[in-house]
Amino acid sequence: MSRLLLPLLLLVLLIGFVMSFGDSRPRADLVVANENEVFTLDPQRMAYLVDLRMAYALYEGLLRWNIEDFTLEPAAASSWTAEDGGRVLKFKLRPDARWSNGAPVTAHDFAWSWMRLLLPDTAADYTKLFWKIRGSTDFWTWRTAQLDGFTANPWEDKKNVGKSTANMLERFKVLGSADDLPEAVAWNPAIELQNERLLLLDALKTDDPDHIRKQLLLSPAHEALFLSLQDSASRQAEAEWMWKQAEQVYTRDVGVVVNNDHELTIELETPVPYFPDLLAFGPSSPVYRPVVEGWVVDEETNQAILQSGWHTVEQPPLIDQERIEISPVTGRAIQSHGWARAGKLVGNGPYQLDEWRYKRDLRLSRSPKFHNPDLAGFDSIEIRSIADPNTAVLAFLKGEVDWLPGVSAECRIDLLKQKSDGERADIHAIPGFGTDYFSFNCRPLLSDGRPNPFADARVRRAFALASNKQNIVEGVTRMKEPIASTFVPPNSIPGYVSPVGLGYDPEQARAELASAGWVDRDGDGRLENEAGEPFPDVELLYSTSSPRFGRISVELRDQWERELGIPVILIGQEIKFYKDDLRQGNYMIGGARWYGDYGDPTTFLDLFHSKDGNNVRGFKNQEVDDVLLAATLEADPDKRLRDLAALEARLFQQDLPMLPICQAIDVTMYDPGSLTGVTHHPRLTHYFWNLRDPGAQP
Amino acid sequence: MKRLLLRRLLQLPLILLAVYTVTFSLVWLIPGSPLEKSDGRRPPDEVIEAMNKQYNLDDPWYFYWDYLGKASGVSWVIGDQQGPVFDLGPSLRHENWTVNEILLEQLPISMTLGLSAIMLACFIGIFTGVLAAAKPGSFFDFCSLLVALAGISLPAFVTGTAMLVAGGLWLDWFPVSGWGQLKHLILPSLALSLPFAAYISRLIRVGVMEQLASDHVRTLRSLGIPEHTILLRHALRNAFLPVLSYLGPATAAAMTGSFVVERVFAVPGVGNHFVEAVLGKDITLIMGVVLVYSGLLVLFNLAVDLLYSWFDPRIRMA
Repeated sequence: MSRLLLPLLLLVLLIGFVMSFGDSRPRADLVVANENEVFTLDPQRMAYLVDLRMAYALYEGLLRWNIEDFTLEPAAASSWTAEDGGRVLKFKLRPDARWSNGAPVTAHDFAWSWMRLLLPDTAADYTKLFWKIRGSTDFWTWRTAQLDGFTANPWEDKKNVGKSTANMLERFKVLGSADDLPEAVAWNPAIELQNERLLLLDALKTDDPDHIRKQLLLSPAHEALFLSLQDSASRQAEAEWMWKQAEQVYTRDVGVVVNNDHELTIELETPVPYFPDLLAFGPSSPVYRPVVEGWVVDEETNQAILQSGWHTVEQPPLIDQERIEISPVTGRAIQSHGWARAGKLVGNGPYQLDEWRYKRDLRLSRSPKFHNPDLAGFDSIEIRSIADPNTAVLAFLKGEVDWLPGVSAECRIDLLKQKSDGERADIHAIPGFGTDYFSFNCRPLLSDGRPNPFADARVRRAFALASNKQNIVEGVTRMKEPIASTFVPPNSIPGYVSPVGLGYDPEQARAELASAGWVDRDGDGRLENEAGEPFPDVELLYSTSSPRFGRISVELRDQWERELGIPVILIGQEIKFYKDDLRQGNYMIGGARWYGDYGDPTTFLDLFHSKDGNNVRGFKNQEVDDVLLAATLEADPDKRLRDLAALEARLFQQDLPMLPICQAIDVTMYDPGSLTGVTHHPRLTHYFWNLRDPGAQP
Repeated sequence: MKRLLLRRLLQLPLILLAVYTVTFSLVWLIPGSPLEKSDGRRPPDEVIEAMNKQYNLDDPWYFYWDYLGKASGVSWVIGDQQGPVFDLGPSLRHENWTVNEILLEQLPISMTLGLSAIMLACFIGIFTGVLAAAKPGSFFDFCSLLVALAGISLPAFVTGTAMLVAGGLWLDWFPVSGWGQLKHLILPSLALSLPFAAYISRLIRVGVMEQLASDHVRTLRSLGIPEHTILLRHALRNAFLPVLSYLGPATAAAMTGSFVVERVFAVPGVGNHFVEAVLGKDITLIMGVVLVYSGLLVLFNLAVDLLYSWFDPRIRMA
């Protein structure tokens, strides 16, 4: 037996050894539990609420919101003015703003960070929001075309020979006219291309792949040049040259103008009333270039950067930018994101990052370099990852956690009941910036080719009128969410007056169905159309990832079967298949939730644009598209909001591309006696720095 | 012995290659994309296209070979790549982290938890198993059966949550969440050990009972050897062999983390990734975790085989 005891003893020692490295750090002043791990601390790449919350602690944008009413206040800017009807925005920056390493925050920081935001190489989720800046769309297109040209190989391309030929010709044209090409690029200006080029362009006009291919084989000069450019050293040099071009083109063509170190002008394509709101939004926060690109510089240069900013020194060559790698294959700048970690990250916000352990915890402390030391309430904040909602609530009840920003669905109902019974004061239900809804598939045909009854707006209206939402929030979800008849959460956007959509009226619902031709013609209890075909069984799709939509779907089925006499089939799908089905239009009605991103109705209403990437409904209406387009051009902000409200009224009184159910509720737990400053505004942007301990000595 | 070791170690890369290929094809077949948000929204098409190109997601073939080269160390050997020898790439969903960093930080946590769970399981299992076998049919035997049944059939999120509520909230002996001190280790390793303990307990009980009925035990008894010596020194020793072969895969399974236990007790281990990485289609993280897991599994089985011959000299390895 002793042979067995020996390894066990060793194991005990090992475990004791490992655990003795335990943390004995004091508890942070404020402990927050996150259900999801922070995805990234790179603001331009952020897309999630948990990440954005971090952005507002670690970085400071030009503006910020007053979280009581979501009006704008200056933050890194000290003041701003709008000119030319809001098309040109001029900002004065605080001269005393510093990065957490002591370097000054300048207008160059913002200009460069927005270049990151607008580059395809960054692939920022929210890049399109900022395409209102003059020249930014063209900048994206230009860089994409440049990269496409770099990878085009028409002689090998089997599928899109026309496109890659065009891309290659464009690349050659640019290379031919460039006057600053590096030596290493194997471009030979002596080769005569003009005749072949004209012939290839002619061939492209025919749009006939075989003809283009034939012409390519008759273009030896192009082929020879192309092959010599394929050399890997040449490609590397060319890709790096392209990358340098990108910055030059951005500075030259995009409407972000650095007037001097502390003055910045943003020129938009057209006046965009909500654009300042975007400048308070996390992804527009500045990042610190020398760290993001990993500049390796000598001590003298480093001192100069800290003294007067990176723009005053010469950029190190690419070889000395250790986090940027230019791929000779794709030509893209591959950024390594390791800079956004404790010990490396440099921010300009009220907090700095002390520690980040993956899916474990993240520690912030007051940044000593921040220009307004009194802004932040707590000296240190720990954000702990607790994935299991039950455990998170237990940890809160036990006092290990002070604030639970989002209590997950399953625990909510009991807790909310305790709240309404008056047993708990530490539970708060806040109507949020999101809406639960069921999409109608508006395509004329279902994915299997059958005609789609929901292509008819009258049928969609009937189903909406037959839905008793009050029953759902009281009897099914049991959280008493505010029911919704429209999509934009009411009172969430200053100046926007939400219209009223359709209410609950089963009588009217049956009338709508009848007017659409669906009546029980043969008395068998089922509705038929004029051709005598019965109303197809309605397929109601939901995701099984949380029980919420499943339960609502069951209730809706019962209501519709009872009020309209139409059989409904429930289809619960695993979330991935569910999303696929939605996207491919393989459903009739499907449940989902949408959260808005920025303070303008279009963050919701753009979903109804026929070309929107999230238009899974297949809803197409030229008038709606026109109003949305007109709204982007409308200079008068009040009229614009009125137009959008009229559009929403029309969408939810006539068109009904979706059936809104209720406003999403955010349930959060904290003891008001020991924590204040948590906003209850629907936008739910939480600023860590705004939190205070009311018991603490001032 | 040496030949066995050599053969197994040579097999390891082949097994890993096969695992890599199969996992890779499966991952590519799951619908969805790592760029998609958990609430179902997608970035604009332009962004998706740029992102796919940036991470070579539009070209599975290129991704396969590129990743294989980096993960296997071949790229490093031929000098294509700086940095770590085995580069499992950046996590696609948590891009500030590389998969190497994640595994290096979290594997030790899961291993500590797993090892202590297996140890606990051995103690509990052997103790209850031997006692049950010593007096079959007794009240204690019945109790050990109950414990074993519960351990095998109750899922960890039930036992785990019950332990949290009882030990963390009511008794207030243990913290509910967190990691880093001995007090954080006790509840999760107990919860994780239960199914293993149940299994071991049953194995020991059957084995010991079989041994007690055997000829050599009868001889020992006739020689007047005390019963407890027979039980512990002779019967248990022989009965332990099946447990030993079970311990190989069990240790590997416990050490690479349990999704449920780690989730319920908020233990920052790798167990999470098995589920979350797949749900989020974080391709690099899935590949990294699966490769490391398979490697560990092979090595543990090898270790068990080696231990076997050390523990029982009658077994000679070919």
